[in-house]
Amino acid sequence: MDHRFSLGIDLGTSNSAIAFSEVESDQTEILEIIQILGPNRVGEKPTLPSALYIPHPEEFSEGAFPLPWRTAEVGDPIIGHFARDHGALVPDRLLTSAKSWLSNPHIDPRQRLLPWESEIREEKRSAFDCSRLYLEHIRESFLYAIRSRGKDIALSDVEVVLTVPASFDDIARNLTAEAAVVAGLGKVVLLEEPLAAFYAWTAEAGKDWRAQVRRGDIVLVCDIGGGTADFSLIAISEKDGALDLNRISVGEHILLGGDNMDLALAYALRAKLEAEGKSIGETQFLALTHAAGRAKESMFADDAIAEFPIAVPSRGSSLLARTVSTKLDRQTLDGVILEGFFAKTAVTDLPHKARRAGLQEFGLPYASDPVISKHLARFLTRSLENVQASETLRSLVGAEARSKPFLAPTAVLFNGGVFKAAPIRRRVLDLLTAWNEGQPVRELAGYQPDLAVAKGASIYGRIRVTGKGIRIKAGASRSYYIGLETSMPAVPGFTPPLKALCVVPQGMEEGSEVLIEGRDLALVTGQPAEFRFFSSEVRSGDTPGQIIPDAERELLEISLLEVDLAAVEDIPAGQPVPVQINAVVTELGTLELWMKHTKSDRRWKVEFQVRTE
Amino acid sequence: MRIFTVTLAVILLALAALSLAPTLMPYADTAHAVLPKAIAGFALLLFLALLAERPKAARARTAAEAVNLAAASPTAKRADAEVVNFLAILQEKGRLVDFLMDDITGYSDAQVGAAGRVLHEGCRAVLLEHFGIRPMREEGEGSKVTVPPGYAPDDYRLVGRISGEAPFTGTLVHHGWKTEWVKLPRLIRKSDDRPPAVAPAEVELG
Repeated sequence: MDHRFSLGIDLGTSNSAIAFSEVESDQTEILEIIQILGPNRVGEKPTLPSALYIPHPEEFSEGAFPLPWRTAEVGDPIIGHFARDHGALVPDRLLTSAKSWLSNPHIDPRQRLLPWESEIREEKRSAFDCSRLYLEHIRESFLYAIRSRGKDIALSDVEVVLTVPASFDDIARNLTAEAAVVAGLGKVVLLEEPLAAFYAWTAEAGKDWRAQVRRGDIVLVCDIGGGTADFSLIAISEKDGALDLNRISVGEHILLGGDNMDLALAYALRAKLEAEGKSIGETQFLALTHAAGRAKESMFADDAIAEFPIAVPSRGSSLLARTVSTKLDRQTLDGVILEGFFAKTAVTDLPHKARRAGLQEFGLPYASDPVISKHLARFLTRSLENVQASETLRSLVGAEARSKPFLAPTAVLFNGGVFKAAPIRRRVLDLLTAWNEGQPVRELAGYQPDLAVAKGASIYGRIRVTGKGIRIKAGASRSYYIGLETSMPAVPGFTPPLKALCVVPQGMEEGSEVLIEGRDLALVTGQPAEFRFFSSEVRSGDTPGQIIPDAERELLEISLLEVDLAAVEDIPAGQPVPVQINAVVTELGTLELWMKHTKSDRRWKVEFQVRTE
Repeated sequence: MRIFTVTLAVILLALAALSLAPTLMPYADTAHAVLPKAIAGFALLLFLALLAERPKAARARTAAEAVNLAAASPTAKRADAEVVNFLAILQEKGRLVDFLMDDITGYSDAQVGAAGRVLHEGCRAVLLEHFGIRPMREEGEGSKVTVPPGYAPDDYRLVGRISGEAPFTGTLVHHGWKTEWVKLPRLIRKSDDRPPAVAPAEVELG
């Protein structure tokens, strides 16, 4: 049965939001999320901060955090606004950025390791667990909101679309989809966030969105949220007289966003306060960071404001005696934000990599270079490399856009709170124009500062159910490879390079599968086999079955694959079984790998294991 | 006097029942915002009536009255708790209680100004989040306005020479304020024996 409703869930790194619509309507509505705002205090907000707080058993009175759909047990984790605000003062018990941990190749997302390096005695949580809890909360809040309107909608009647960063590889995507299943949302459709923003834009721009883009356009979707930057390119071409949209490139996971900017401003302001002989404590620094963010927003919204007064309240009760005041002036603002994060660098100027010291602190791989311009340059350079690798992509893009050392976008769609500031949007356009040797780059009009991703997800759900409306062809964002041990005579001091077999080509469409023929592998029944698993987002030309001679140099290792062939009746234990690799991209956008018996229809599923070192 | 007390108690009960019903609906309900005040008001009246009546009532209290009082008193406490909760929000976001409880005389205008910014920014955010505040009249103050026939007397304060019938024409001195919606966070507690804290004592552990 076709779904009658569509629910879009933007499970964000810093904030989540949901949008709801009936598939036969063109109205999309943001549903506020019920959450804990303080001890004994419950309310609704448009976004749910993706923050989880693990309380001390004696910290709050019993039953202090009930929600309409559950009674509170002592020690239950707290999610949302209060968790974020209170947790900022008790960092040991606060879990944030679970999403970035989910895609971190160095830790197992199912292991209870978070909050990272915290010494609390209560049970810790895993990144997977955390995503599941957020999704459970969202599901309950959604059902409660619908019921309190007197409607009764079963989840089985709802197409649920969950967005993921374009930079997520399929392991992180599969984990997100699985978290949704465990959270009781059923099988969800996955959608890349920048694409969701694009769908929201087409709905907002109405009928004339087609007039705003034309054949040959390369649209850069530039999405900078609180903690992450996510880039994608969409090529606009024509096929049989109709517009044809293809997502041709995705960026890497960059942990750099609006929060870094507020923090940078706060450091500048603190230095100024200290120069005046005033000092502020840690808590006040938090307040200063929030105040700097608000000042930034106001000053970027109104060019006439030369300076913005900032008052940092005292910690104790004597507000009058101890409030510290300062001002943010425009020179500091422009210097820190525009010149610091969006500097006018050359397109050949790429982010510098942190030098790997012998002892490196594990944790989230925060971007070591704060200049977003350089990350953008790297993305566009790698995008060209990717497009050049395949005949199909070259034909979609055309020679003009490929004539420079980077792939030159002709238009930009902005998304994320950072771009509320018109001067920042202008700066990015100026930067791209300069790289483009003066040829202007347009902004697609109709930027929606808030919640576009959730709305776009709900719109995409409608398009999927009804089949009406344009779809961006995306498919697998990366190609995937399995490591093959090379059979070579052993030589002391020389490790032979690891060859890799391409099993999933980039762009492989949802609802399709490939069987790698002519590359039979042998598995032994009764004992688990392991394979190294690699990916690349810049090798669009590789085809299934192709061999990459040196995997460690060309590809990114992301996981370990494990397959366990239980002893089968007709095959004696210990005997090698010839198998072929069967890769499936499901309708919902998740990747499955199978080992298929060459001589029968029997197949065994390959599980992704996260590499831990 | 007994009749008066009983009537008050009955009104209070009815209001309490009303205030329970809207919690099932989304709480952006104007009536819901007025109810706690009304309940608190009637509870106060009831309290005063009881005080006045006390010498007699002590001797001749009936069982029925005791039941009524037992039912009414938690509701009044509940209303108090809601008000304290809102005060706690103003303190948390805008430091209202800190500001008012400080002795302002010894501070310079610059200090008062700095604290005032904290107060203004925080309390304004609370106001805009929980109330749909709009001017009662959109015209500029000082302009000529007409108060239409059948106007709601609660919405206007007529001053100067009032005679004849509406419409009245005059100068808008203050444009007034109204709230188009109220969206207060719900206070969920097991017991209202004690009012909630206005601000918890903060202790930093080393």
